[in-house]
Amino acid sequence: MNESRSEILQGTLDLMVLKALEALGPLHGYGIARRIEQISRDALRVNQGTIYASLVRLLQRGWISAAWGTSENNRRAKFYSITRAGKKQLATETENWERIAGAIGRMLSLEERS
Amino acid sequence: MFDGLRIAFSRLRGLARRNREDREFEQELETHLALLTEENIRRGMAPEEARRAARLRLGATEQLREANHELRGLASVEGFFRDVGHAWRMLRKTPGFTWAAILTLALGIGANVAIFSIVNVVLLRPLPARDPGQLVVLAYEQRGGKLESYFSYPNMRDIRGQTKAVFSGVATYRTSFDGLGSGGHAQRVLSAYVSSNFFSLLGLRPPLGRLIEPSEGGVYSAHPEIVLSYAFWKSQFGGDRGIVGRGVSLNGHPVTVIGVGPKGFHGVYPFIETQVYLPMSMMMVENWMSRSLLQNRNGGPFQIWARLRPGVSVKQAQSALNVVAARLASEHPKSDAKFSLAAIPETLARPFPMRPNPVPEVAALFLALAAMVLVLACVNVANLLLVRAVSRGRELAIRAALGSTRGRLVRQLLTESLLLGLMGGAGGLLLGMWICGAIGSVSFSPGLPLLLDFPFDWRVFLFSFGAALLTGVLVGILPALRASRVAPGAILHQGGRSVAGGRQRLRSALVVAQVAGSLMLLVVAALFARSLQRVQQVHLGFDPAHVLNLSMDPSEIGYSDAQARVFYKEMIERARTLLGVGSAALAFTIPMRTYTPQMDFIGVEGYTAPPGQPKPLVNFNSVSPGYFRTMRISLVRGRTFTDADNRKAQYVAVVNEAMAKRFWPNQDPIGRKFRMTHYSAGHWLDVVGVVANGRMLAPFGKVAPFFFVPFAQNFGSYATLQLRTLGPAASVIPEVRSLVRSLAPGLPVFDVGTMREEISGSGFLLFRFGAVLAAALGLLGLVLALVGVYGVTSYAASQRMQEIGIRMALGARPAQILKSTFAQGAVLVGAGLVIGLAGALGAARLAASFLIVSPTDPLTFIAVPLGLAVVAFVACYLPARRAMHIEPTQALRFE
Repeated sequence: MNESRSEILQGTLDLMVLKALEALGPLHGYGIARRIEQISRDALRVNQGTIYASLVRLLQRGWISAAWGTSENNRRAKFYSITRAGKKQLATETENWERIAGAIGRMLSLEERS
Repeated sequence: MFDGLRIAFSRLRGLARRNREDREFEQELETHLALLTEENIRRGMAPEEARRAARLRLGATEQLREANHELRGLASVEGFFRDVGHAWRMLRKTPGFTWAAILTLALGIGANVAIFSIVNVVLLRPLPARDPGQLVVLAYEQRGGKLESYFSYPNMRDIRGQTKAVFSGVATYRTSFDGLGSGGHAQRVLSAYVSSNFFSLLGLRPPLGRLIEPSEGGVYSAHPEIVLSYAFWKSQFGGDRGIVGRGVSLNGHPVTVIGVGPKGFHGVYPFIETQVYLPMSMMMVENWMSRSLLQNRNGGPFQIWARLRPGVSVKQAQSALNVVAARLASEHPKSDAKFSLAAIPETLARPFPMRPNPVPEVAALFLALAAMVLVLACVNVANLLLVRAVSRGRELAIRAALGSTRGRLVRQLLTESLLLGLMGGAGGLLLGMWICGAIGSVSFSPGLPLLLDFPFDWRVFLFSFGAALLTGVLVGILPALRASRVAPGAILHQGGRSVAGGRQRLRSALVVAQVAGSLMLLVVAALFARSLQRVQQVHLGFDPAHVLNLSMDPSEIGYSDAQARVFYKEMIERARTLLGVGSAALAFTIPMRTYTPQMDFIGVEGYTAPPGQPKPLVNFNSVSPGYFRTMRISLVRGRTFTDADNRKAQYVAVVNEAMAKRFWPNQDPIGRKFRMTHYSAGHWLDVVGVVANGRMLAPFGKVAPFFFVPFAQNFGSYATLQLRTLGPAASVIPEVRSLVRSLAPGLPVFDVGTMREEISGSGFLLFRFGAVLAAALGLLGLVLALVGVYGVTSYAASQRMQEIGIRMALGARPAQILKSTFAQGAVLVGAGLVIGLAGALGAARLAASFLIVSPTDPLTFIAVPLGLAVVAFVACYLPARRAMHIEPTQALRFE
């Protein structure tokens, strides 16, 4: 269950949501989920519902905001957009991510060579 | 930090707007589903299939909802209420179990609450004064003696003058018994003579009138005033608001009531009500204290309380006192050599300063015993919960299968046990109140205005609540962890069949612990009971049977010493002639009456104390002729007193064998001389007789030197009439009372009781109290342990029902079944006894300083384990016998 899911995975999902919102502007939950799937070329086909946990977390931290609007098929939908704090967080997180990813990458390639 | 706050805040808001947000989330999910479905249709699916695929894609909406809920709201709070509701329903479903558990816990917690509220009064509860934490009691050691708290006047004055830097005030008091006359009738009261700053130092305000004020009391007898304690005012004057300004008499002297003390202030001792307060200067009027005491540095009557200045610690005060003590020691080497002072926080100096202070140790011992009882109760309930967890295995398995995590199940089960703990705690609080009320209504000792009142304050409630919570967790944690470790498949497939295995092992361990624990409790209880018994069987050196005591003090109705002498002479002559009276005598104090001791430093002719040691301090009694016959104390050498030993004759004394041996070893003590420092006006006393050792002070320990002087040569107004009666001692009380009434109308007669009552009362109070408490705890522990052993053996037998059935069907004889079932329990009991014996030896060693018998008393250590073994084996045997009588067919069908 959700309790056992790793922190990293949660963090990754949050990062992707932030990135999607920064890139595309206000989106509803479905839009965000679609976008992540498209970008990751369906490599990350998790249950789309998991996105909502991430959205609540980001809202609570004040990194995104939400407003009700109308979807493309004329339904009431909640649209999320990134806040200034969210953009700052995204920048920091991106940097972190790259540093860690770089480190892990180097580590793995080292292992391969030896 | 900030982040945490923000999350907490938005969660709180989420909780408040729960319904709306739930609906919104519902809508959000719906939109999501609709969008997904539309896309699936675009991709060419049939609408029905598109919808199904969309659902799968989104994930289980129920879980999403719950996760969202949990993130958004304070899920734990909400979950808690849900758990409580569920727990309540589960407990309601099995009222038998629930009541048994609550009752067991209430017994355990109740015992703890009762013990704690006693400890609270003795050790924790501060005086109802302003800033009670600043109050300290002063004590001293002089010339290598033990810790004393009665200061001489000169030392008290010097200390007060030289500690102004650390103390904002130094107050003194002295308690005594006096006769309070009002409306032609006098009664005996416990009074405190207090320095004029006493009440202002404590920061007390009167509900009526005024208290003694700092401006008063400097002048000898200038303020014949009296303050009544609140409880005394209520009980003796009916709370009469017109009391202020009324004249009453104290020992015959007129005094004016100026006010009433605050409600809840009972004076300076725990458990005793100080009934009236007078200015210190009134002591001089009372003439029981010679004015020479004002100059003498060698001991005195003043107890000292001081208030620390704000910000001054006890340690700082102590170092200031060290300086003062060193100065006093060097200025007055004769009286104050090796003088040292101690400042003791008021709560640690109850009832008076002691070093080492045994009160915390006694308190710890009894709290530990009570805790042991609670542990036994917890073990029983834990056992019940384990059994219950087995029968609830299916429910738990289903919940696990439906996706409840282990943590969730543990939380659920713990909520149940916490609920049990809290209900048990509530029951325990009521039980504890009841026990304390019962203790309060027992009359332990005549003569003292005892105040056995254990008010329940926040400390007691906090303690009870803490005990209840702890109990809930203790009881529940093991069963919960075990029960939640379910493999759903296994249990559901088994169809509820025995899943004993590991759980049985745990239960067995609990039985062992229980037997061990109750053995420890019982051994300590038995040691106390044996000590009490030993004390009561001790050779007293006098014969307490058929002796009646009546105390009186004619100065309480204003008699002068001369009048009192005449009164006593007449009374004793007339008393001897009363029907049923064999002999009569007067004595200042009677054996074991610890609140009227008489003692003095003595100088013995031809004996010098070893260098650096104080003059010997010896207890004595002033007695009239006929005393030794009345008390049946046998004369060893010489003679006893006669009427000829009066003020005009040579002053004489009779010593006990211990005193003869101490000062005149291997010599004839008759004709030897010694003298007292304060009493008998400094006359040399001729030793005229030696009597057998008697237990005059304490029922145990070595008999100390003791001597007797003639009542006529050391006269005091206070005396006890002792009568040896031919029939039951109490039968002559009415005649003696009317005799006193006819000789001295209005004279209060108090402490009326037989010598037997006296001995089992005050002198044995501690042991009786300790023995009764320990025995109650021990019995409670025994019952709990037996219930536990019986329950577990029964349960084990019922679990083996099927096996037994098969074995019997295969030809096992009933006796074999009996043996194997019994052996199972007996092994556990045996293991518990061995472990408990080791623990009991340790516990007895801790309690050793409060015992009279040896902490390894063989009788106790043989009888108690044997007794426990017998009853525990019976508890094992009964279920085993039941198992033996099972019909095989019935057993096989059992499950």
